[in-house]
Amino acid sequence: MSDALVSPAMAVGAGVAAAALIAVATSKVKQIRRDDIIPLMGVMGAFVFAAQMINFSIPGTGSSGHVIGGVLLSAILGPWAAFITLCSVLIIQCLVFADGGLLALGCNILNMAATSCLIAYPFIYRPIAGKSLKPWRITLASIVASVVALEIGATGVTIETELSGITALPTSTFLAFMLPIHLAIGAIEGIATAAVLCFIAKYRPETLFGETKLSGGNTVEKQARGKKVLIGFAIAALIFAGAFTWIASSNPDGLEWSIEKVSGISDFPSATPPTAFMPDYDSRFAGIVGAVIVMVMLWAITTILFHRLHASRQTSSKERK
Amino acid sequence: MKQTRLEKAITILNARQIKPATPSHIGDIDPRALLLVTIVFLVSMLSVPLQRTDVIIWFAVYPIISSPLAHIAYERLFRNSLFVVPLLLFIGIFNPFYDRTTAFTIFGIAVSTGWISFISIIIRGLLATQALLLLIRVAGFNEICEAMHRLGCPAIVATQLLMVYRYLTLLLQEALTMQRARMARSYGKNSFRAKMWGQFVGQLLLRTIDRSRRINMAMKARGFNGSLSISSPSHWNTADTVYCLVWIPVFFLLRFVDIPMLLLTLIH
Repeated sequence: MSDALVSPAMAVGAGVAAAALIAVATSKVKQIRRDDIIPLMGVMGAFVFAAQMINFSIPGTGSSGHVIGGVLLSAILGPWAAFITLCSVLIIQCLVFADGGLLALGCNILNMAATSCLIAYPFIYRPIAGKSLKPWRITLASIVASVVALEIGATGVTIETELSGITALPTSTFLAFMLPIHLAIGAIEGIATAAVLCFIAKYRPETLFGETKLSGGNTVEKQARGKKVLIGFAIAALIFAGAFTWIASSNPDGLEWSIEKVSGISDFPSATPPTAFMPDYDSRFAGIVGAVIVMVMLWAITTILFHRLHASRQTSSKERK
Repeated sequence: MKQTRLEKAITILNARQIKPATPSHIGDIDPRALLLVTIVFLVSMLSVPLQRTDVIIWFAVYPIISSPLAHIAYERLFRNSLFVVPLLLFIGIFNPFYDRTTAFTIFGIAVSTGWISFISIIIRGLLATQALLLLIRVAGFNEICEAMHRLGCPAIVATQLLMVYRYLTLLLQEALTMQRARMARSYGKNSFRAKMWGQFVGQLLLRTIDRSRRINMAMKARGFNGSLSISSPSHWNTADTVYCLVWIPVFFLLRFVDIPMLLLTLIH
């Protein structure tokens, strides 16, 4: 998701929920008694990034796709470590490649990392794949888990965009548009994930999460009380984030809304000063044209100004030499 | 010859890891100040109602002025931000069809509010991407990680970010070598069948895990205790305060004062 598709209220809500999940994941990873977990997470993050850059062909379409890697990472690192790793990949994509947005980061973490690592892997992949390393079970589990993750993520994007008030599309139409596309993407993601996991299961099965003593999952300390507190905190944060976002989005002008609640007056005069000389529609058009002209002028002035400044600096430094 | 995605990624990563070597007017600003100004810019710009395209355009003042200060030509920044347009088109193109209320008529053509919001979405996306690109190019990734850590981001996440970034170039290089070897034998086919792709990426994964074990041993031998130390943290100076005090009020002014209407009133 891009910054342009979220309202600040939605971004804050999703950001709070994502931060809460990162806090829980951080404490979970700290409990893993595996001293190589940090470097492993680091290189696995880099691996997912590299894997995303290698395309594979989609038969019959002439196009190609790439893997996102949530279920793949979870199958190797376990859900919580995979969640942090995928978050770091998303942050790097946002900060280095400007892919996604800074404000939309919370939404992207929920839609892509949380859905695949914390929902699809533990609730879909693990029950289907079980402890067996049979290729058909890994393939089925990967495809179903990836499809479910992508579909929940697509629903998340739809809800977030709708709550932000960005699109004029009705929610049902938007969903009808998004879900079939992501069903196909999910199936492709699942096949690609299965291809890698089957290879790993065949040649290096001990690498998979939960298979041997090497995996972190068997060595995690069970701290019942701490776990309950963290889960409670995460649920509370999610509820808070959801409620905050809903209130903020359904009442874009909080001040007006609260005044209306208190006073019972719903018809407020417009905040925009009236212009007697020009009807409203004309002024709006003139405003757009005016703003564009000013920005183009500003661009020209700054370019000329700084170009000259830069040139004069270079000349003076050459003279000094 | 056209660059592959891997080659492009390696070029970008190498360019954006550290601060640019050439000094710029805002190159010495503390990354926390840059991050704060970017966040305030994004919040104020994105909170402008979609129908107020005339107000949103004014926010272009930030990238237009800041990019030459950072020794980046604005047209280059603008061009680099265009990659976000297809996604915005995908979401925004429905607005003109579903929202047909007339906003204004110009030369006898009725312009609907759907078209206004569509243009707004595109401009918002471009400006948000430009602000982010500016932040990365001025501060560099390492400094932003440091700023995030000092602003309260958990150490494990900051360490993870730095680790991923450090090994990215290495792994991308390895993937590129493997891809080139494969392409040399594939008679012009750039992508793989799914099964072959699985074997290819699986091989890369196994090499990666082996590499992580070697790295772990090397790091432990050098006294690694679970978090990477951040070298030479920057200090908050008067210039950083001034930078924030200049830009943040400007954003608030653009957000809360109806500048287009004010100017029209003044003109008439």
